[in-house]
Amino acid sequence: MAQDVSTIITSIKEIASDILEKDISTVRGFSERQVEAIAKQTVIIQKGIANGDIDEDLREFFLDGLEAMALNFVNTLKGILMVTLEKLWNALVNFLYKAVGVVI
Amino acid sequence: MNFLRFNLPFIALLSFTLFIGCQATLAPAYDQAIVEKVTESSDLAMRFFAEVDGGTSSESFAVREPVYNVLIGAFESLKLQAKARPVPENVALDKINELLRAKGSSAISGEYPSAFAFEKIAETFRKMKQTDRENGIKPLALQAFKGQVEIFLDQAITYESFLKR
Repeated sequence: MAQDVSTIITSIKEIASDILEKDISTVRGFSERQVEAIAKQTVIIQKGIANGDIDEDLREFFLDGLEAMALNFVNTLKGILMVTLEKLWNALVNFLYKAVGVVI
Repeated sequence: MNFLRFNLPFIALLSFTLFIGCQATLAPAYDQAIVEKVTESSDLAMRFFAEVDGGTSSESFAVREPVYNVLIGAFESLKLQAKARPVPENVALDKINELLRAKGSSAISGEYPSAFAFEKIAETFRKMKQTDRENGIKPLALQAFKGQVEIFLDQAITYESFLKR
């Protein structure tokens, strides 16, 4: 299974691109949905406070909620990134081991 | 000499991967049972929001109380299931955590984003139940409760589905 350096580099790039392209499109869709939903939620809270549907107690609850959802949005992205890193890492290690003839 | 110069990065990368030792696990395992249960519970939650659309009055709270209890129980149980999965332990994860801490960010621990989201959804239904019992829920407050549940549900479902690799 002799391969030259340029073939190996091309293969590594292909493996990385395949994984990244697929995962980035998922991340993009999720981010867009979340940003839009958090913006809409902010407007609902503003209107609710203005017309009295949301009282002082609920106002505090929903403001804490906004903070928690923004924090967890970032943590979800971080979690997704970890899965992508894991996929990337394992795919590259598999390829490199195979390239030197080691079966794992 | 030329061979070494051109192949040094590759040799370094190969040595590093051989040293670290094959497969890495950086995220918890995918759990089909969690995904099925969250699908079922979110369906129940959305049907409940559709039923109370427009607001509620405290006089009819007793009719809704059992549904609140089912929803709170379902999401509390999902939180426990999501948290129960062990945090992967290996050299690669240790290195990543070191880097995250050095950058002032929190390390990867058993606090999975889905577990946090399930906890917040249960909290939201608990608050909704209390508000409904005491004063009833006005239309915009109801929309805000629904929006909060939907956002946390999206975070949990996206993360849990992504674990299927």
